[in-house]
Amino acid sequence: DASCLTWEGQQFQGKAAIVEKLSSLPFQKIQHSITAQDHQPTPDSCIISMVVGQLKADEDPIMGFHQMFLLKNINDAWVCTNDMFRLALHNFG
Amino acid sequence: MYSTLQKDRTNRTEEYNDSGSLPRGRNRNWSSFRGNFGKRNPRDHGGYEPWPSHHQEHDGNMVMRDVQKDPQVRWTPYTIRHKNRRVKWHNEDHIQRAAWRNRKPLEREVGDNTKDGTPGSWFKITIPYGRKYDKTWLMNSIQSHCSVPFTPVDFHYVKDWARFFVQDAGPASALRDVSYKISGKENQKISIIVDPSAEPYSVQNKLEPEEMEQLKLAMSKRYDVSQQALDLQTLRFDPDLVDHDVDIILNRRSCMAATLQIIETNFPKLLSLNLCNNKLYQLDGLSDIIQKAPTIKILNLSKNELNSAWEVGKMKGLKLEELWLEGNPLCDTFRDQSTYISAIKEYFPKLLRLDGRELPTPIVVDVDIPYLIKPCKESYKGSEMLKNLVLQFLQQYYFIYDSGDRRGLLGAYHDEACFSLSIPFNPEDPAPSSLCEYVKDNRNIKKLKDPYLRVQLLKHTKHDIVLSLCVLPRTQHDFSSFLVDMWYQTERVLCFSVNGVFKEVVGKSQSSVRAFTRTFIIVPVSNSSLCIVNDQLFLRDTTPNETQSPFFMPVPTPTSRSMPTVSQEQQEMVQSFSTQSGMNLEWSQKCLQDNEWNYTRAGQAFTTLKTGGKIPEEAFKQIP
Repeated sequence: DASCLTWEGQQFQGKAAIVEKLSSLPFQKIQHSITAQDHQPTPDSCIISMVVGQLKADEDPIMGFHQMFLLKNINDAWVCTNDMFRLALHNFG
Repeated sequence: MYSTLQKDRTNRTEEYNDSGSLPRGRNRNWSSFRGNFGKRNPRDHGGYEPWPSHHQEHDGNMVMRDVQKDPQVRWTPYTIRHKNRRVKWHNEDHIQRAAWRNRKPLEREVGDNTKDGTPGSWFKITIPYGRKYDKTWLMNSIQSHCSVPFTPVDFHYVKDWARFFVQDAGPASALRDVSYKISGKENQKISIIVDPSAEPYSVQNKLEPEEMEQLKLAMSKRYDVSQQALDLQTLRFDPDLVDHDVDIILNRRSCMAATLQIIETNFPKLLSLNLCNNKLYQLDGLSDIIQKAPTIKILNLSKNELNSAWEVGKMKGLKLEELWLEGNPLCDTFRDQSTYISAIKEYFPKLLRLDGRELPTPIVVDVDIPYLIKPCKESYKGSEMLKNLVLQFLQQYYFIYDSGDRRGLLGAYHDEACFSLSIPFNPEDPAPSSLCEYVKDNRNIKKLKDPYLRVQLLKHTKHDIVLSLCVLPRTQHDFSSFLVDMWYQTERVLCFSVNGVFKEVVGKSQSSVRAFTRTFIIVPVSNSSLCIVNDQLFLRDTTPNETQSPFFMPVPTPTSRSMPTVSQEQQEMVQSFSTQSGMNLEWSQKCLQDNEWNYTRAGQAFTTLKTGGKIPEEAFKQIP
């Protein structure tokens, strides 16, 4: 419940807020294709998991995305405590 | 000269050490005591009564009886001991023994002489397992809980227990009341045991005024005013002291206390202290210098008998910049140089030189640590403080990273940090990608199935990391392209990601532009420096619109987004686009830029994206 989602720069905290955001994403179907993933252990025994790939939502063009999960072992189950998602869309310059 | 004192140079032991050796008064000689033992008449000894402890006290150290005894009472030691064993507690007004958890019988005091606590009588205060608490915290907690202010004397450790002395029954009984009132970190109650005792060594064997004078003279000769440095190496054999029959053995509490007293009065702003070759094996006495001469920045403890880093850690109140420890047994206990250095740096984070060697300096960020405490609830940028902290960190990091010599980054990484690098694997394009320089380090788990290689490519210690970073092609990062996301922050850790582009500056892929996403997990390491514990880098080729952005010099900009200059005409386009689309100026400009300022195309792109819901809300937020 103390988990946090950062979606394209916006932060949502708590299960309810996160689920709300994820359900409110405006597409009907979505496909992901992971092109790279990497994982590292963190000093406090969590796992940080980084994924780069492409996604296609509904009929939109394929876009790159980048997502990061921080997984924590709580009661023998791995729970996602943080999630960060970014589209590889614009580059501000 | 001092014949009345019957000094025995070789046999005196005046240290509060673990072996529980017998403390002896100045006028006592071990052999004469032994001779009188059977007589059972303490008065012959002329005052002090060194007494072997027959039953187990907490640590085997002796308990000394009070000096003034009623001369009429002839006390028989063994009888008294026997009474003790029946657990008869002597309840007196002022002095009541603290209860032991395991109810071991305490030694009773003799007679009623100690009842009122004759002025000047001493008590020893013992804190079981006191070693596990930070000394300053412990003493401060006790002081604050104690109803009577007290001055601790001769604080030292006996194995795992802490002990000090106080004078007078008032403070002693107030301290007894503090027992079980303070809780340690794991909520265990800290007990305090109060017993009467003889004078602590530093008082008992206090140097005579003449000796003090000689010591002061000898020390003044060893003081270098220009450097504010005091050289006390091999002090015992200083010719002046030897000539005047002054025996300064620094392991003895009284000698150390005297030396420190002279430093406090005569050299209070001392910068450098050399205690080389003084056979020091414990630093309890020296640790008092932290209050007396806090200005010390250089300390030489080489060629002594210090056994562990913990011993050295007793000096951690000093803000040392230079430390010498070579020639101590503790140096051999470390498996390699860097564990040695880290262990010492734990106690002295600001240390610059150890044993004459410069230490790599960490990245120091000039922000107060307290501000790092920000829960996730804040906006994604966190506070301004955090943002500045992160940006400063990135500036420093990439400055070194782009500089051609990445070894400077050693200071940025934690010893046990992890780093790995990935490049995307595109199944449709099996041709070698232009990222060939990075392929050998590529740890794309999706592609890399070999578990051995998977482990190998996760660079673990900071040395391995910096080594592998040094091998990567030289880069120039475009700061203006950076997009920073802070997605997790607590008091202890900060996680953020940087998206951006960089250019390769040398080699066959010269001036090709790559896009990267790098994720850092950072922890604060005392005193405003930060340390990377995890570093993960994704590299990919840039998409066309990313390469378009003008490449600025990597001079840090205050914000991670900056608007490049636009012409008047373009500004007008932005304005109207903004009104039509509803997006704010920044985003409108970006959209137009991405579409090469082709208004219609931009409009189409916008509409497509908008119906796809791809445009984040902030695009529509009006920036004031």
